[in-house]
Order: sequence, then structure tokens, then C-alpha cells
Amino acid sequence: MTQPKRVVAFVAAFIIALANVAAVAQQTLDRTKVPPSGPTPVLRVPAWTKTQLANGATLIVSERHSLPLVSFSITFVGGANQFEPAERRGVASLTTSMLNEGTKTRTGDQLSDALQLLGTNVNAGVDAEDGSIGFLSTTKNFDAVLAILSDMMLNSVFPADALERLRARTLVNLTQAKDQPVIVGAQVFAKVLYGNAHPYGQRSTETSVKTITRDDVVNFQKAYFQPGRAIITVVGDVTPGKVKATVEKALAAWSKGGEKPSFDYPKLPELQPAKIYLVDKPGAAQSVVNIGLPGPPRNTPDYFALQVLNTILGGQFQSRLNANIREQKGYSYGVNSAFNYGKGPGAFRAGGSIFTDKTDAALIEFMKELKGIVGDKPITDEEIKTAKDSLIQGLPQRFASVNAISGAITSVVVQGLPDDYYQTYAQNVSAVTKEDLARVAKRYIDLGHLAIVIIGDRAKVEETLKATGIAPIAMLDIEGNPATP
Amino acid sequence: MRRKTLPVFAAILVGCLCQLAAAQIKIPYETYKLPNGLTVILSVDKTTPTVAVNIWYHVGSKNETPGRTGFAHLFEHVMFTGSGHVPYGLHDQLTEGVGGGNNGSTTNDRTNYYETIPSNYLESALWLESDRMGFLLDTLNLDKLNAQRDVVKNERRQSYDNQPYGRVSEIFAAAMYPKGHPYSWPVIGSMTDLSAASEEDVKAFFRLYYAPNNATLAVIGDFDPAQAKEWIQKYFSDLPKGQNVGRPTVALGKLDASKRLVYEDRVQVPRLYIQWPTVGTRQDIGLGITSLILSGSRTARLTKALVYDLQLASQVSAFQNSAEDVGVFQIVVIPRPEHTLTEVEAAVDQVLQKFIAEGPTADELQRAKSGLELNFLRRLESNLGKADQLLSGAVFFGNPGQYSVDYEKLLAVTAADVKRMAGRYLSGPRIVLSVVPKGKRDQASKAAESETVTMLLRRGRGGRS
Repeated sequence: MTQPKRVVAFVAAFIIALANVAAVAQQTLDRTKVPPSGPTPVLRVPAWTKTQLANGATLIVSERHSLPLVSFSITFVGGANQFEPAERRGVASLTTSMLNEGTKTRTGDQLSDALQLLGTNVNAGVDAEDGSIGFLSTTKNFDAVLAILSDMMLNSVFPADALERLRARTLVNLTQAKDQPVIVGAQVFAKVLYGNAHPYGQRSTETSVKTITRDDVVNFQKAYFQPGRAIITVVGDVTPGKVKATVEKALAAWSKGGEKPSFDYPKLPELQPAKIYLVDKPGAAQSVVNIGLPGPPRNTPDYFALQVLNTILGGQFQSRLNANIREQKGYSYGVNSAFNYGKGPGAFRAGGSIFTDKTDAALIEFMKELKGIVGDKPITDEEIKTAKDSLIQGLPQRFASVNAISGAITSVVVQGLPDDYYQTYAQNVSAVTKEDLARVAKRYIDLGHLAIVIIGDRAKVEETLKATGIAPIAMLDIEGNPATP
Repeated sequence: MRRKTLPVFAAILVGCLCQLAAAQIKIPYETYKLPNGLTVILSVDKTTPTVAVNIWYHVGSKNETPGRTGFAHLFEHVMFTGSGHVPYGLHDQLTEGVGGGNNGSTTNDRTNYYETIPSNYLESALWLESDRMGFLLDTLNLDKLNAQRDVVKNERRQSYDNQPYGRVSEIFAAAMYPKGHPYSWPVIGSMTDLSAASEEDVKAFFRLYYAPNNATLAVIGDFDPAQAKEWIQKYFSDLPKGQNVGRPTVALGKLDASKRLVYEDRVQVPRLYIQWPTVGTRQDIGLGITSLILSGSRTARLTKALVYDLQLASQVSAFQNSAEDVGVFQIVVIPRPEHTLTEVEAAVDQVLQKFIAEGPTADELQRAKSGLELNFLRRLESNLGKADQLLSGAVFFGNPGQYSVDYEKLLAVTAADVKRMAGRYLSGPRIVLSVVPKGKRDQASKAAESETVTMLLRRGRGGRS
């Protein structure tokens, strides 16, 4: 008889205790008060060492021992824009794909099996202005994977039949890209801004891919993978002294040669008065919109001001463009803007995918926000503070993984930025003034010369776009050439 | 982008691979439950001065009712429109505005919300999450719902309707499961159903599924656990416990006979898809390894045969997609222009028959297991990656450390296991779907024996609206 009572008593006490906790919590907790932030954590920029290998390559090593992982990459200064002839666009990509196809001592199958057993892959690729070959591995497999990378980079044999197989795959990919409105939008936008003569307007096409020969591939490999323009970055569970010896040994056969290329680009085509370029995509559920013009290179002294400006305009979820066009108007799943910096005049671009029926209404809002940032709707102190806080306090995220650290350090070297770039980053962002923002907005968002490229259903959007009176309309095909009616 | 539907297969695929490999490296964590039923997981990692707060609610599109498909995901969007003490916009201000980020995602089985923040903003992140768990309905109105309805419809247009091959997952869901089955509709839902969702639907859904007893909170990164516990107590302990959420048994997908379908899409290159009903996360061990032996590497069986030896295809992929209750195994082939989908299907079958008959070699099995460790380790580099490991174990298995149980099981998988699983699941009735350019129905594999899919979708949609 007593036992149940005790249980009841215990349960009751427990409930009372809980109720007390809840009551205390309710009494003291004012949920309307935003909890204060703690003291800002000290910025810990990963340290790195920079030395030279005997063959002239730069070696950067940064230690992080929290996990048994190593990120290894060789980055080459200069990319497809510097090393691909205009009529051989696509040779860089075919060459890097062919590094998997066999070496003097290993077949393609053997390379693949060996890497799979080591749990990783060697990835190679050439972008517009740089290229790289590298991998992520466990510490214990690092030496073995590096030996395979070295073999692939230096001893590939480029079998002719493999080239044909990869060419066929590339052609299928190019065909599939024509069905992707976002890809078509980016390609036509580049062509409108830069034309055929500027490397920024060029890309691989069916014609160029069909023209490339095995000799082109072999020559590209020889010309491109040279230590004189190489930055080797090793980040992770390694020590600088030991890893240097390992790398020297693995790349012993890689002899001196090559230098950093020039990044002189031809003059840009003359800026045209603002115009809408419409590419017909019958039945499209959305219009893909790209608005912009050529912008400044990465080494512009206006870089930090532009970063703050773009954070306010279209770099974040609550930036002006997305807050208006997605959140308030509901015309899109998301819109944004960016300055695409490079060694040359990379594009400023604003855009997104817009519900077909709202294409005109969204374009009106885009133009309103662009005019706004240039002066119609002055930037507020609060916007500036949020943008700066966001940029400065987001810095640690760039060092969140061994691959991220490798990218952060390598980009400093490739872009020729000072070694203390990250240590002085906060200071540089903080120094941007309201006047700077007004000046760079006017200078780089040139409203009179915007190219507005829209991939959408002409039957549904042409008349309404015309009615906005924003700019005259020109019809283009998916290659960016004037459309034949 | 933010607030998107997590593609189910990607989530599960990654989930599977990373659960495989935790032999030497364990994730240190502690877990406890508040009296209101909220499960808490804490894991400290001081490598980077950042923290991730991630909450999983055990509710997804499978908890919807026909006629209201897409609701769980629409609701996810509503969760970002402000709550009782948090005006709209402040959530972003206290995350991306201070150098962090926030997002959410919805699958068939669960919905998650997270903040990634500099470590000194942990308290405000917990306050934000607790406020929408406790006080979402205080400020909800029809205008907010309608605005997000438009955004979600745009998400559907962007990710499905305006996307080449974007309707495939929807076609398979409708064809694989009987009408009314919880996995028979896509997470994104139908346009008609999205239009039909009412304010009252939102409120009822919130009251049932967004109670602390249906949620698991993970805090991962650079923080002091004693301090975090105090804040969690402060902000979450007074939120009332909700009703118990039932977990009805969901039948596995089962086909009585194979189906052959053709879908005409705005594409230039046809594709062949083959899908079998299999099993979900609890029983799928061995099927992930099967997919790695069939595709992914150059010497994987389907890749080797179709891409290299026969040169019928430009790309091949195979994967097991495991949800909580059901699973499917899918093969996708992109043919080379001079070859037909019919040839491709025959070649796939030849490879499969041989594989099912003989099972994998010891080398194949070893190679397939070799990548698991690195995959696991790289997920541990991110706070969110760790959170997802611990949370999926906690939510679907009641054990945050499930990843390590699964790893042991995977290491123990034998060639005979793979042979048995492949034989059991990849030799029965299946769905063969040919996606072909508009007006090119004849490009389908065995076109004459195949049913056109527009019919099937129209039937499905009519039935639910």
C-alpha cells in the first residue's frame, strides 16, 4: 500500500519542481530583448610558409592538424584565356581530362583503380585565368597520391582513341548545355559584353572542339604545366620541412621552365546604349535575366568599396534586390548581383530566374534598384554597418576546411595581394566611406550602357517588355548572334 | 540557394557514404532531453571560431495529405517570416548580417533549419530558433503565407519546370507508389495544391509537428557547453510539449509488373532511367556499395562496359536513394548520339545479369570501401556536416552515434551480401523511363511497348486537386 503512494509523492514533487523551473524561466525571460553578442573572437589567420623549389615553383605550406587530412594543389598562373588559341577553345579541358587516360607506366584503368584504393581522385582543370591539379587525401595516403599526380602531370601518353571518346562526350555536353537556360544566359551575356575578339567573350564550341587534334593536346600539356608559373599549396596534417622534401622528391623529374604569362587583353568593344537582348525559349516557365556591363579588374583600388556596395545591392539574402524582387514581390526564387573580378575587366552582373508572367514587372524593379543604389535611394548608415559587419565577421569561414584555407592562401598569391591581406582585411573594409560608395556606384553601374539579356518565351514577354520603355529590344539566337526572323 | 528543397537523392547519397567510415575517428558529443521532449545534442570543435545551430523536425512531405502536397516545404518558408518576438528580417540581420548564414530544407522525412554564426552570436541564434518554435503563430497572417506561396511556386518553376529532365523525380514518385502513398508525391508539391493551402492548414500543421517533442537541436562548434546548456534551458524549456506524433507504418514500394514510360521534354539529348523499389535507411546496407561497383569510377562495371568498351554512352550513374521508410535504386544513362536507348537498355541488362550471377570480386569490394574514410573525414571539417551526421542518427534511429554503427556494418559487408542484395532488388519488376526530345517519341527504349507519361501526370494531378 505504501509503495504506490511514494511513487505518487515522488511524481508530484517532480512536477512541482518542473513547474518551478518553468515559472522562474517565465518570470525572468523577456523574449522581446535581443540577446547581446559576446566579445568578438580573435581572428586566427592560418600561418603559412613560402619557399621556392629548385625548379622555380613556389611552395606554400600551412599546417592544420585537427584531422588527418591533406589538401594538395598546384595552381598555374594563367588559364584558357592566355593559353588557348581562339580557334582551339576547349583544348585545355580536353587535355586535363586526358591526364586520366594513362601514363608511360600505368593504363587509365590502373590509374583509376590505384586512386580508388587510396580513397580519392586527382582533379585537374583550367579556368579562364588560372588552372590547377590537386587532391584531398588522408595523411597516410598523401605520398602515394602525390606520386600518382606527378605521373599524370608529367608522363601522360594521350592515347588517340581516348581523345575521340572524350571529344564525343564533350559534344554531348555542349548539346545538353543548349537546353539549360541559365547556361545559355551566361554565355549570351558574355558574348554581348565582350564580343568574339575578346577572350572574355570566347568559349568552346562544336566547331572548335571538332578541330582539336592530338598534337594540340600534347602541345598544350607541354606549354602549360610548367613550374615557372606554378604555386604548390599544401594545407593540413603536414610539417613544412618534411613536406618540402616529399614534394621535391615526387616532382624531381619536373624541370625548370615557363613563366607567368602576360594578362594584356584587347580593347573592349565600344559600350552600347542600354538595350534588351531577348533570346526566345518557347514555353519557358521562367525568364533568365542578366543585366550588367564590363567592370574593373581585381586589383582595382575600389575593390573594398565595391564589396561593401555589392553586399548592400545584391550580395546577400536581405540585399536590396532580393528583399524587393523575391521577398516583397514574389517574382522569383532568388535574385542577386556580383562583380566578377579577374585580371581583366570582369563583368558586373545582376539577375536571376523570373516567373515568365512577371518578366516586365521584375525588370522594372531591377532598374529601380540599380538607379536607387546609384543615387535615387541613398545608402543608409545602417546598411553600411550591416554590410561591413557581414564581410568582416564572415572572414573566419574562409578558413573552415583544409581546401578552403588552400584556396584563401593561393588566391592571395595568384592575385598578387599583400601577404597580410587577411590581417588587414577588416581595416580595409572599415575604411570605406559613404562617399566612396556613392562614387563607385556611379562609376561602375553605368545605367546608360547596361546590357539586359533575357532568355524567355518571346510570345509572352516581348510586348510587355517593350511596354516598359526601359530600352529597345534586339532578338538574338542562343549563340548570341542576331536572330533570323 | 536559400530555403530550398533538398534533392532527396543527393541528401541520402551523401548521408550514406559518410555514415560508412568512422572507425578511428569518433565525433565527441553529449545528448540529453528537456522535460518538454526536446532532444539536444552538443559537440565542441574549436578549430574555427564559428558555431552551427541546426534543428531537425521529424516531419516532411510524407506527413502531408493528398490535396495538400508541397505543404511541409511551403511551411518551411513560412518559418522565415518572423515570429512572436522576432520581426521579419531580424533573423537574417543576426546571421548573414554578422558574417554567418541561415537556411532550411525539406525532404520526404524531415525539415531542418540552421544558423551558421561567429561563435559570439550563439545566444541570439538559440533565441531565434526558440521563438519560431514557440511563437510562430503570433504573427502569422495570410499576406505572409501568400508571399511565400509565390516564392515556392517560383522555386518549383526554377528547379523542376524550367529544368531539362526536371520532372523525372515526380514521374517516378507517381509511378512507383500507389495513389495516396506518402512517398507518391514530390516534396515540392503541385501548383494546384500550393494554391489551396490555407492559413488554418498552416496553424494545424504547426501545432502538431513543430512542438519540442518532435524536434532535435544540435549545437556544433566553438562554444562552452555549460553556457550553451544554460541558454538552451533559458529559451526552450518553457515551450509546451505537444501531442505525440504518430509514426504510421509505411509500405515499401512494390511493383507487380515492370512499367515502361516515355516523357517528351524540351531537351535535345535523350536519357534512359531505370528504377527499382528497394529499402530505406534501416535495411539498405550493401546497396550503396553495389552502386559504387556499378558506376562512379572508370572500371566500375556499367561505366566500363557502356562508356569505355562499347562506347554506347557518354555518362552512366547508379545510386541507391534511401529515405526513412522506403528506397529506390536508380541507373541513369546519357547515350552517345549514334546509339539508341534500346541498345543502351540491353547493354545495362547484360552487365546487371552478369553481376547478379557472379557478385563482386574481392578487389571490387575493397575498392568500393576505400573512399569511405576520406568522405567521412571531410564531412567532419564543417560544423553543419557534423550536425547532419549526429542529427540523422538521432532522428531516424534514436542514436546520434548511429554513423559509427553503420560503419561497422559496412566494413563487415561481404561479396555474398552484395550479391544477395543485388539479386534480391535489381532483378525484379522495375520502371524504365525514357526522356526524349519533344516529338521524338520513337527515340524511347522499346517505344512501341511504352506508355506516354503526360497521361500519367494528368491522372495523378487530377486525383489530388
